[in-house]
Amino acid sequence: MKSGCYLLGFIMVALLLQGCAFIRGNYGEELGQGDITTIQKGISTRADVAAVLGAPDRIIEANGREIFHYYHYDIKSGSVLIFSRTNIKSDDTFVIFNGAGIVEEVVAGKRKGPLEFQFWPFDWPFH
Amino acid sequence: MMLRNLFIFLILALAVTSLKGCSQGPITVRRVVFNQTISHNDVTFIAPGKTDLLAVVERLGTPNEILTSKDGIVTRYYFADGKYFKANYGWGLRFLIPFFTPDLDLGGGGIGRDVFQVTYDDHWLVRDKSFAFHSHSSEFVVWPFRD
Repeated sequence: MKSGCYLLGFIMVALLLQGCAFIRGNYGEELGQGDITTIQKGISTRADVAAVLGAPDRIIEANGREIFHYYHYDIKSGSVLIFSRTNIKSDDTFVIFNGAGIVEEVVAGKRKGPLEFQFWPFDWPFH
Repeated sequence: MMLRNLFIFLILALAVTSLKGCSQGPITVRRVVFNQTISHNDVTFIAPGKTDLLAVVERLGTPNEILTSKDGIVTRYYFADGKYFKANYGWGLRFLIPFFTPDLDLGGGGIGRDVFQVTYDDHWLVRDKSFAFHSHSSEFVVWPFRD
């Protein structure tokens, strides 16, 4: 009788654990605030920026300016039994150069709200 | 004794393996959310001709994209919401016909994307802003044959 209960308990735990997964991933390196503050507006050049932040993921031409675009995506995914939810958040960085190749502006800022692990896919009853 | 333990382990392994199919169940509900939405209330501080790029980034974060247009420089913020539902209506047949359990999957979903766009002049001052709301076009589809 006792071993039967153990077996049932084992099966129940195995059943619940089979459908449970929490996964985290990211794309691109998260640039530290320390790295960004070393870039000086009106002084740093394209080479200086590349030396600190590395080669950009994309280079954009906009109204006579050149823009270095650095990607960063953070992903958190949770699955429990039949429910699954994946949250993705982007925190990109842009460095804008003037026509002479000197840094004109650094665009870096966090999106609102923390990225959470969630498995409940519906808005209700929490919203 | 060792043979008995091995036999019990084999039975347990088979039981757990077979339960994997049960735990996946007849229903799947999935959602993928890209960034948090930006509402009208979040952008009331933006005043065309006065607010600059850094002030916008400080409040809303970095945009997803910077584009060029003849009117100036355009920054775009994206928010996407994807929903997917699937039900296997043949799942219960395994209890009636154990040797033949056909899958009958019905369901569907969709992805909607909101965009918030800000246009700047050459001095990085906001020229105009606009929204496009489409994220509510995504929904969990239970019955795929409707019009």
